[in-house]
Amino acid sequence: MPTFRLLDIDLTTGTTRVSDVSDRFEKYLGGTGVATSLLLETPAGLDPLAPEAPVIFAIGPFSAVFPVVTKTVALFKSPLTGNLGESHAGGRLAMAMYGAGFHVIRLTGRAAFPCYVTVDEDRVEVHRAHSLWGSSALAAERILRDHEPSSFKRSIVRIGPAGERCSPIAAATVDSSRHFGRLGLGGVMGSKNLKALVVSGGRYWPVTEKGKYNAFYQKIYEAVVNSPAMKKYHDLGTAMNVMPLSRINGLPTRNFSQGFFEGAADISGETFAEKHLTQHLACGHCQTGCIHMATLRERFDPEEHQYKTFKISYDHELVYAFGSNLSIQNPEEVLRLLLQVEKEGWDAMSIGVTLAWAVDAFQAGHLTAKETDGLVLNFGDAATYDKMLHRIKAGHNGFYRDLEKGAVFCAKKYGGQECAIAFGGNEAPGYMTGLFAYLGYATGVRHSHLDSAGYSIDQKVLNEPKPDEELVQGLYKESVWRMALNSLVICLFARNIYTKEAVLEGLAALGLTGWDEARLNATARRIHAMKLRYKERCGFRFDDLALPGKLARVISGNGQVTSERFARQVAAYRDLAAKDAGELPAEYR
Amino acid sequence: MGKLLRVLNREQCIGCYSCMFACSRVWYQAITVEKAALRVKNYAGIEGAFSIRPCYGCSDPDCARACPTQALTPRPGGGVLFDETKCTHCEACTQACVPDALQWDHEKNVPIVCRQCGVCVKFCPNGVIGMQEIAPAAR
Ligand code: SF4
Ligand code: SF4
Ligand code: SF4
Repeated sequence: MPTFRLLDIDLTTGTTRVSDVSDRFEKYLGGTGVATSLLLETPAGLDPLAPEAPVIFAIGPFSAVFPVVTKTVALFKSPLTGNLGESHAGGRLAMAMYGAGFHVIRLTGRAAFPCYVTVDEDRVEVHRAHSLWGSSALAAERILRDHEPSSFKRSIVRIGPAGERCSPIAAATVDSSRHFGRLGLGGVMGSKNLKALVVSGGRYWPVTEKGKYNAFYQKIYEAVVNSPAMKKYHDLGTAMNVMPLSRINGLPTRNFSQGFFEGAADISGETFAEKHLTQHLACGHCQTGCIHMATLRERFDPEEHQYKTFKISYDHELVYAFGSNLSIQNPEEVLRLLLQVEKEGWDAMSIGVTLAWAVDAFQAGHLTAKETDGLVLNFGDAATYDKMLHRIKAGHNGFYRDLEKGAVFCAKKYGGQECAIAFGGNEAPGYMTGLFAYLGYATGVRHSHLDSAGYSIDQKVLNEPKPDEELVQGLYKESVWRMALNSLVICLFARNIYTKEAVLEGLAALGLTGWDEARLNATARRIHAMKLRYKERCGFRFDDLALPGKLARVISGNGQVTSERFARQVAAYRDLAAKDAGELPAEYR
Repeated sequence: MGKLLRVLNREQCIGCYSCMFACSRVWYQAITVEKAALRVKNYAGIEGAFSIRPCYGCSDPDCARACPTQALTPRPGGGVLFDETKCTHCEACTQACVPDALQWDHEKNVPIVCRQCGVCVKFCPNGVIGMQEIAPAAR
C-alpha cells in the first residue's frame, strides 16, 4: 500500500516538517479532497493575503502513475472572491511532486525577503531572490532552470510582476504555458514574498500488481492514443470550439453582447492551426499533447529587415478572452496581447473580461477620459488594449491599478455593475450557450466552466429540450462526480476515459483496496459538501448569486435567460446540495 | 543483424516522457522516468525544444572502454552488457558517453544500460523514435 506524505514549509521561519497523511488519502482519495480537508482546518475569517493563509498543492494516487493524470490542485483562500480558491494546472508539477515524494505541499507564512523555494526530495531550501523580483513569468523560469540544476526532471511554478503586486487576478505559471490561472493564486504567492517553487526528485512507487497494472496501463494508453476520445484535444485543441459556438450564438462577443462573432473564422482553431501553430506540447506523462504553441514572427525595424519571433500557447479560453469578447479578429493581435498577459502573469480570462467591462463602462459614461487618462475605449481596438495593459503594469494611475483587481471590484467602484460579467465574483469563461453555462459558473465550487460543464448541457438541449428541473439535477450530479476526478487529479480532458469503472480498476491496480462505486460516490458527495461548508464559512450564500444584468437582456445560444429563471434553478441546486449536507464529516460541521 | 534504437523525427517530440516511463516500467517495475535507459531533455528558455538521447548501440562503445573493471562489455549486435558485480560505481562510463545517453541509477549507483528492446518505441505516440536495422559498419 503506498504511503502519502505532506511537506509543510513555513516561509516566516524557514522551517519544514514532513508528516504521513495516508489516512486522509484513505478518506478523501487525494488531490482536491485531501486539500479541502486541510483548508477546512484553517481558522475562519483569515485575510487571503495574511501570512497564516496556506497555499496547498496536492496530487492524487494516480498522479504520474497513469497516462493523462497530470494535474495538480492548488487550494487557498481566494483574494478575488473571498472564499474557496481552487485552481488546477498541468505541466510537470504532478510528476515532480510524486518524484519528490510529497503528494501534498503546504506553504504558510511570509518570507522576510523575496524568495524562491526548492524541494529536491527531502532537501528543502528557501533562497533569497531579490534579483528575481520584477522578472516576467517567462524570464523567471529560464533563470531558475539554469540556476537550479537537478539530476531529476524539475517543475517550476512562478509568478510574474502581477503576482508580486498581489493582484487578485494574478496567475501562477507552471513550466511551459500551464497555469494556476483562476482565483488569484499568483497574488497569494506574492503576498508571501514567494516568487517561485522548484520541485524535483527521483522517488517512485514500484509496480506491485504487475499484471493488473500493466493491463490497465495498456488499456488507458490505447484509449488515449488510438481511440477518438482525445482526438479533439490533440488535433485543433479546444480552439476548435470557436466556430461551432459562434454558429449557435454561444461565443461571447463584445463583452457578452451577443453569441455570434462575425470574425470567428479569423480566430478559429482552424485558422490558428494553419497560420500560427508550430507544435504541440504535452504535460508530463500525457501522450495527447494538447498544448498548442503558436509562433509569431514580426519585423521590428521598419528600416531594416530585422525580425523577432516568439512562441505563445493558445486555446479556446484565451481566444475568447482576447479575441471575440474584445472583438479582435486579427489572430496576430490576439497573440501579441496574450504574450503581455503571459509575461505579466495575469489570469487571461479575468483580465480580458475586466478590459471588456471597461469598454462597456466607458461607452455608458461610467468611465471618462479622466480615468483612462485620454484613452478612448472601443471594442476591436487592440492598440488601445495594448496601451492599457502597459499602463496597468506601470501602475499609471488609480484607475489602471484598479483594473487588475477584477471586473466586480471595478464595477462597484466606477459603476456599470450590470456589465461586469462575473459569477460568484469570478470573471466568466468563454461560453454563453444559455442558462446552464451560467448556472454552472454560478453554482460551481470554483465558479469555473470546469466545475460541471453546464455549457455542454446547453448544447445538448438545443436538439433535445428537457425541463430545467431535470437538467439541474444532471448539473449537480456532474459537479459531484468531478470531486472524485479532481481528487485523483485526472486531466478533465480525459474524463470520458476515466469512467467510474476505470477509476475502480486503476485503484485496484495500485493495491488500493476497499473501493467500490458506492464508496466512490459517497466520497465525492462528502468532498463537495466540505467545499460548500468552507465557502459558507467564508460568507458565500447561494441566495446571493445573481445573473449579471446584461446577461438577462442579451440572447444566448438558448435564447433569453431571465433573472427569475436563473434564480429558480440556483435555488434548486442549493436544495440538492442541502440534501447532501449530511455527508459532511462531524468535525467540519 | 539486430535492430538498434534511433531518433527518427526529433522535431515531432511533444515531451510527454511516455517512452521513459515505459522503459522504467518494463525493465525495473518502477513507476518513474528515472530508471529509463534513454533521456528526453528540455532546455531552459527554449520552449518546446527537446533532445532525445537513446543509446546508439556503438560497436566499439566509449562507455565500455572507459570502464576500469570491465563491468561494461561490448554486446554482440551493438551497445553494452553490464555485470553489476564488477561495477565500482565510478561513473567513468556515463562521462565517456558523449551524447549523455547512458543514464545513472541514483538509487543503486550503477549505469542504466539499454537492452535495445524497442519497448519505448511502442509507447511513443508521435513516431519520434524507432528501431532500425543498422549495418555493423555504421554503428
Ligand atoms: S551508452 Fe553511450 S557509449 Fe555506450 S554504447 Fe550506448 S551510446 Fe555508445
Ligand atoms: S530500447 Fe528498451 S532498454 Fe532501450 S531505452 Fe528503449 S525501452 Fe529502454
Ligand atoms: S514518447 Fe515520443 S513524444 Fe513522448 S517524450 Fe518520448 S520521444 Fe518524445
